[in-house]
Amino acid sequence: MKLNNNDLIRKETASSMTNHWVLAISCLLLTLSGFAFLFHIQSIGDLFGGFPMMRNIHNWLGVVFAVSLFLSMWNWLKECITFGYNDIEWCIAAGGYLGKFWKKKAPPMHKLNTGQKLFYLCLLIFGLGIIVSGFFIWLSPGFRTIMILAHFLHNVCFILIGIFLPIHIYLSTLGNPGTIRIMIYGTVPVWWARKKSQQWVEEIEEGHSH
Amino acid sequence: MTTKALLITPELCIGCRGCQIACKSWNQLSAEKTKNHGGYENPPDLTPNNFNKIRFMEVPSEKNPTRWLFVSQRCMHCKDAGCMKICSSPGALTRSETGAVVTNHEKCVGCHLCVAGCPFNVPRYNRKTNKLAKCTQCADRVPNGLTPLCAKTCPTGAIAFGDRDELLAKAQQKGYAKVYGEMDLGGLGTLFAFKDAPKIYGYADKPAINEFVIFWHKFLKPASWLGIGGMTALMGLHYLAVGPKKETQDKEEPTCLCGEKITESTEEREANHETKQ
Repeated sequence: MKLNNNDLIRKETASSMTNHWVLAISCLLLTLSGFAFLFHIQSIGDLFGGFPMMRNIHNWLGVVFAVSLFLSMWNWLKECITFGYNDIEWCIAAGGYLGKFWKKKAPPMHKLNTGQKLFYLCLLIFGLGIIVSGFFIWLSPGFRTIMILAHFLHNVCFILIGIFLPIHIYLSTLGNPGTIRIMIYGTVPVWWARKKSQQWVEEIEEGHSH
Repeated sequence: MTTKALLITPELCIGCRGCQIACKSWNQLSAEKTKNHGGYENPPDLTPNNFNKIRFMEVPSEKNPTRWLFVSQRCMHCKDAGCMKICSSPGALTRSETGAVVTNHEKCVGCHLCVAGCPFNVPRYNRKTNKLAKCTQCADRVPNGLTPLCAKTCPTGAIAFGDRDELLAKAQQKGYAKVYGEMDLGGLGTLFAFKDAPKIYGYADKPAINEFVIFWHKFLKPASWLGIGGMTALMGLHYLAVGPKKETQDKEEPTCLCGEKITESTEEREANHETKQ
């Protein structure tokens, strides 16, 4: 079955889009309130209804984040732990994102490219770290050593997620104009999918994948 | 106002625990049921309702079979305070004019990180109110010219209150060459005139904030800014230097990138064309 270039093809389902929205909003609000806790930013605290209220919101948003990160494994984990030779090529070409400075082109990718896969795995690993340490800080008053180590780990994971987050947001908005529609409609034009996820489109055309 | 301090001389203490009662009285702290575990020491530990307590310690001695020490335990009001470093809410822990570390329950978020950050294990977390609780060196009395009630109550002068420098000078006059807390952690607001090594009185020789807390404060906090801010800046630089990766359709057909409208497929178009004809 040959797909028409002007057709739209569904890349994300309603459930995976909802999953991403919940994950994204909770992650951003957690980052914002986390920064306010770290640097005592009063204005952000006021935005959340004062610091004591922000602490409750931060904790329960952490639960939302944890649940949606857990559920996200059904949506993306399988895709994100499947690596091939083209992933090495993608890394060498830096995804083709360096333009005139590094003219290597990105190889044909499956549904997600190497960068997206690695970002997801980073979020999963450091997200797990930040969730576990967060629960220890929340629920283990009195265990001084555990508290200090958990607080330490919480911040290390925060820094690591904070490094990858701007890349993810930039490449899905300004860096790749048009990509944001996956978050809104869940569909992409077939010609676009051919450029970004050639292997995936070919598999659909051959009838192997959905 | 000058920096004030409490000077505690364990050898003068008779273990009457009047300071414990006075503290409860002034701070309106309720009594707590405790268990008798075979000693005079009571309550067994600092709690959200006990801001200070006398530790009863039996240590070996040359003259007597045992030497009984009564050592006051309470917030040390460190100048370089671990609790203030790790506190996550502005204004929950503040420095008073007289150098005391003061708690503000309204601002406290109840994260109980200060409990972990304190090198002396002093602050206590109240599970019921979800707030921290500790000695404030009677921050509501001192600015009004009153002495902290524990010092006022003490019948033997084991707890003395006054200007920090004067207290240090007095202790040195009395023959205490080294006052515990004179230099530790930037200078403590609760000084101890120990005759022997601090260890005998249950205090660390060199109190220090946990290395993890210091590393976090010095490096991880700035790294949080640098990580997210630096990456955002780098992405901005990429946008300017390299620019977005625009994908264009090879054929000259109209794209449907921005609309919801799904263009009909070639087969459908041909079928429609045929029916129209």
